[in-house]
Amino acid sequence: MNRKHKSDLVILFSTLGLMAVGLIIIYAIGPMRANVLNSTYGTDYGSNDFFFGQLRSVILSLVAFFVAFKLIPYKYIRKYAKALIIFAIFLSALLWILAMSGSSLAKCELGECRWYNFGPVSFQPAEFLKLALVIYLADFLARKKEEGKIGKFQDFWLPILIVCGLSLFLVVIAQGDLGTGVALISIIFGTLLIAGVPAKQYLIMLALVLVVAVGAVATSSHRKERVDAWIATLSGSESTDSTYHIENAMLAIGTGGFFGVGIGNSVQATGYLPESINDSVFAIMGETFGFVGLFAIIAVFGAMLIHMLKVADTTPGQEERIMVIGVFSWTLAQVVVNIMAMTSLVPVTGITLPLLSYGGTSMVFIAFAIGLVSQVSCYTSREVKKNENISSGRGVRRSYHSSRRRNS
Amino acid sequence: MPRTKILKNVVLVALGIITVRLFFIQIIEHDAWVAKANEQHTLLETIVAKRGKIYMKDGNDTVPVVLNNTVYSVIVDPAVTDKDKIKESLEKNAKDYITADIDEVFNTEGLRYYIIARNIPHSIATKIAEEEIGGVWFQKSNQRYHPEGELASGMLGFVNADGLGQYGVEGSLNNILAGKDGVVKSVSDINNIALSIGNDNVKIPAEDGKDVVLSIDRGLERGIEEIMAGAVANSAATNAAALVMDPNTGKIIAMANVPNYNPDNYGKVSDASAYINYTTEVPYEPASICKNFAFSAAINEGKMTSETTYYNTPYTVVDGWKIWNAEQRAILNNHTLTMKQALYWSLNVGSIQALKFLGDDPDNITQTGRERLYDYYHNKFRLGQITGIELIEAAGYIEDPNEGWGRDSTYANMTFGQNLGITMVQTATAFSAVINGGVWRTPTVVEGEYKNGEIIPLNLSEKISDQILTESTSDMMRDMLINNRSYKVRSGIDRAGYAIGGKSGTAQTVVNGSYDNEFNQMIGSYIGFIGPQAELPKYVIMVKMWGEGQALSGGDAQNLFDSLSNYAIDYLKIKPRY
Repeated sequence: MNRKHKSDLVILFSTLGLMAVGLIIIYAIGPMRANVLNSTYGTDYGSNDFFFGQLRSVILSLVAFFVAFKLIPYKYIRKYAKALIIFAIFLSALLWILAMSGSSLAKCELGECRWYNFGPVSFQPAEFLKLALVIYLADFLARKKEEGKIGKFQDFWLPILIVCGLSLFLVVIAQGDLGTGVALISIIFGTLLIAGVPAKQYLIMLALVLVVAVGAVATSSHRKERVDAWIATLSGSESTDSTYHIENAMLAIGTGGFFGVGIGNSVQATGYLPESINDSVFAIMGETFGFVGLFAIIAVFGAMLIHMLKVADTTPGQEERIMVIGVFSWTLAQVVVNIMAMTSLVPVTGITLPLLSYGGTSMVFIAFAIGLVSQVSCYTSREVKKNENISSGRGVRRSYHSSRRRNS
Repeated sequence: MPRTKILKNVVLVALGIITVRLFFIQIIEHDAWVAKANEQHTLLETIVAKRGKIYMKDGNDTVPVVLNNTVYSVIVDPAVTDKDKIKESLEKNAKDYITADIDEVFNTEGLRYYIIARNIPHSIATKIAEEEIGGVWFQKSNQRYHPEGELASGMLGFVNADGLGQYGVEGSLNNILAGKDGVVKSVSDINNIALSIGNDNVKIPAEDGKDVVLSIDRGLERGIEEIMAGAVANSAATNAAALVMDPNTGKIIAMANVPNYNPDNYGKVSDASAYINYTTEVPYEPASICKNFAFSAAINEGKMTSETTYYNTPYTVVDGWKIWNAEQRAILNNHTLTMKQALYWSLNVGSIQALKFLGDDPDNITQTGRERLYDYYHNKFRLGQITGIELIEAAGYIEDPNEGWGRDSTYANMTFGQNLGITMVQTATAFSAVINGGVWRTPTVVEGEYKNGEIIPLNLSEKISDQILTESTSDMMRDMLINNRSYKVRSGIDRAGYAIGGKSGTAQTVVNGSYDNEFNQMIGSYIGFIGPQAELPKYVIMVKMWGEGQALSGGDAQNLFDSLSNYAIDYLKIKPRY
C-alpha cells in the first residue's frame, strides 16, 4: 500500500460542481414543473418543492460521497462484496415479487415497478445493484486474476453469467428498466476489459450481448416503438406521440444557441418537454446555458472520466483498479447514453444524467461510488512517485501536513 | 495498447461525437429550431374589446338599457382532461349551458381543445373552477344583458353568438359599439398560459366600443308599448308600430314595435320577422296620410288654399279607372266643397283635385302636375329615399312622373298614399315638415356618446335642415289638421288648451299581386301632432296597425293615437294654453 496523499482534486471538484449546477437548474425550472403537474394532473406541488427535494438529494449524496471517501476504507467494504451482491439481487427480486402480488410497498409508474415505497421516501434497488455489482466484480475478477483463472469456463464465466444474468434479468425484464440495463452492461464489460479477459473471449461475449439486445428490441413492442421513434426523428418524418419527447428535447437544445436563453427563461421546461427535471435535464441545460454551457458540462464529465482512468492506471491494487473502472464505466454509460438520447443519436432509454438529474437514489449511489474512487485516488503510486521525484523528503512532509490538517 | 487507453479513447470519441452533434444542433441548426419553437410556443390571443353599452334617456337622466355580462366557455382537451369529473361537474352545475355531446367529444380521435359549454355565468364558472379539474380551461367572453327585458327590442336589436350586432341599433351601430379587438402575442406554456419570457411579446390593447345614448325616453317607450300591446289585444291587429318624434329637431323619443321579443333569448324566436323594426325597415302605403303632402304641394305652389272649392262627385275616372271616395254621403256627393272639407272627410276625389290644381288645369291631370307632385314627394319631402336616421332603413320608391304606362292613375293614387312605398319614419319626417313651419329635418335616434357622465355628439350622419314649404303653407295645413280632429275636442277626447291635429289612413294592400278590392286585408295608420294651443306642435306621433288577413282601418289606428297622444301629453308634461 502506497502512502496516503491528497485525493484527485478534479474528481472531487467535478462532483461538487455538477451537484451545484444540478441544484441551480432545478431551482430555476422546479416551479414550472410544479405548475405543469398541478394544472395537468391536479397535483398540489409547491413552487419550491422540487428544489428542496433536490437539495435533500444533494445533501444525502454529499454525505454518501464523504462516507465513501473518508470513513469506510475500501478494504473493509471488499470483505462484504459477496454479501452485498446477494442482498442487492435479493432486494430487486423481492420488489418483483411484491409488485406481482400487488403490494403497496412496490411503487409503480407507467406500468413499471422500480421503487420501494416507504411513504415520503422511495428507494430504487437497481441503483444499489449497480454499486453492488461494481464491488462484487472488482472482488471476483481480482481474485480470479490472482488465481490465474481468468477465461476459464467453470471458475470464471459461469459465476459471472449467473450473477450478471440474474441482475440484468431483474433490471431489464422485471423492472423494465433498459437504462439501468445499459449501465450494468457497461459496468460488466468495462471491468472485464480491465481484468484482462482474452480479447477473443471478450469480443465473443460482446457479440453475444449485442445479439440478445437486438432480439430484445425486436420482440418487445415497447422497445421497438422507441427505436422506431428514434429512426422517425432522424429521418424527419411525421411527428407522433412517440417522437414527441425527443423532438422537444432537440427543440430545447436547438433554441439554446451559443449562449443559451439564460437561467429561468426556459420555455420548454414549462411543460413541453417531458421529464424536464429528470432524464431530460440536459436538454433544459442546453436551452438555458447554450452550446457554451453544454460544452463546459461535457468537458467536466470528460475530465472526471479521464481522471478516473488515471486513478485506475496508477492504483497499485488490482481490485481497486477494477472497482475504479467499474465506477468509470457506470458514469460513462449514464452520461453518454443520456446525452446521446437527448441529441437523437441513440433511442431514448430512460437513464438519468449522473449528479444533475432530479432523483434521490441514483445520485446517492453514484456519489458513494465516486467517493470510493476518491478514496482510492489517495493511494495512487505515480502521484507519490512524482512528489518524491522532486524531493524525496518533501512528499512525505506534505502528506504529514495534510494529515495534520485533517486532524485539526 | 493498455486497456485503459482503449477506454480513454472511448470517452474521447463518444464525447467528441456529442460535441459535434451539439455544435450542429445549437449553432448550425439554431435558427430552424427557434422557428420551430416559436410555432409551438407562440400564443396568439385576441383581446376582445368591450362592447359599448346602450343608454336611453329617462326625463333628464341617462339610463342603461343594454349592458354586458361576462360569461365563460369551458374548453377541454380530450387527451388530458379528466372526462368523468368535468362531465359530472357540468351536469350538476351548468346543465343548460352544455353545447356539445361530451361523450362524443372525448371519443373523437385526435380531437384537442374543444368547447363543450358556453355562456356560463361567472358564479357558476367559479364553482366549476373551484373543483380544480385537470385539463379544463375557461374562456371569457361578453354577453349582452337587457335589464329592461323586451323593451324596444325591435329598435335595439341583439348581438349574436359571434359578437356581431344584428338588427336595430346593435346592427346599424355595430362598428361604434363593437370597438376594435386587440392582440396578445406571447410565449406560452403547454397549457397555453402566457409566460413573461422572451422579447417577442406583442400587446395591442383592445379599443373598447363606445357607450351610446339614444334619444329614446325609456319611460315614454315603456308606456307606449304597454298601450300598443293593449290595442293589439283588443283589435284584429296582430302587430302595431309607433314612433314619437320632435318635429322641431327630428329627434325620435319613442320607437316601438309590438309584439316585442326577448333579446336575451333572441334564438327562441320562431319567426325572424319578429326582429324587424317596422318603423324604418318596411316601406308601405300609408294611404290618406299622404293627402297632407299632396295638399301641401298645391298650397305651397299657390295653386289653392284650404278654402278653394271643387265639385265633389262619388268617383272620378282616371285613365279609364273609376276612383271612388270612401265616404259616400248625400251631404258630400255632388256638392261643391272646400279643400278643407275634402281633407276632413278624406275624399280621394278631393286629393286628385289638388293634383289637377297643381298641374294648372282644374279638370285634368297634366304632366306638369305629375312632375310637380314628384318634385314635392321625392325631392322635397324625400319620400322613397332613406332619411339618414342612424338605423337600418329601407328606401322604398316613388314612381317616375313620365316613365311607364298609366301615369295619371298612378299619380292620382299617390295623392291618397297608394302606388308608392315609403317607411313610417319617412312619413313622419315629411309630416313634421308640413306642420313645423315647413322645415324638413333629418330624423335622429342617437343623442351621442356617453363618456364620463357627459353626452358627446357623435355626428353619425349629415343633419339636413331644409325649408321646403313656406310658413304660411305650414300654418294652413296645421289649421286643417286641427280641424280634422274638431269632433275629438267636442267629444272630450282631445283636452282643451291643446292643439292636436291628425290624419288617418286606411290602405288597401296588395294581395297576390293586385290590390285587394274585397277589403279583406287593410293596414290602418294615423299621424298627428300634439302641442299647446296656438303654439308650434311639440311632438308628432305616428301609429300603424296591421295583421295578416285582417282589415284594420284608420279608425283603429286613430283610437290608438288618441290613447298615445293623451298619454304623451301627461308623460311629457306638456302644459295646456288657453
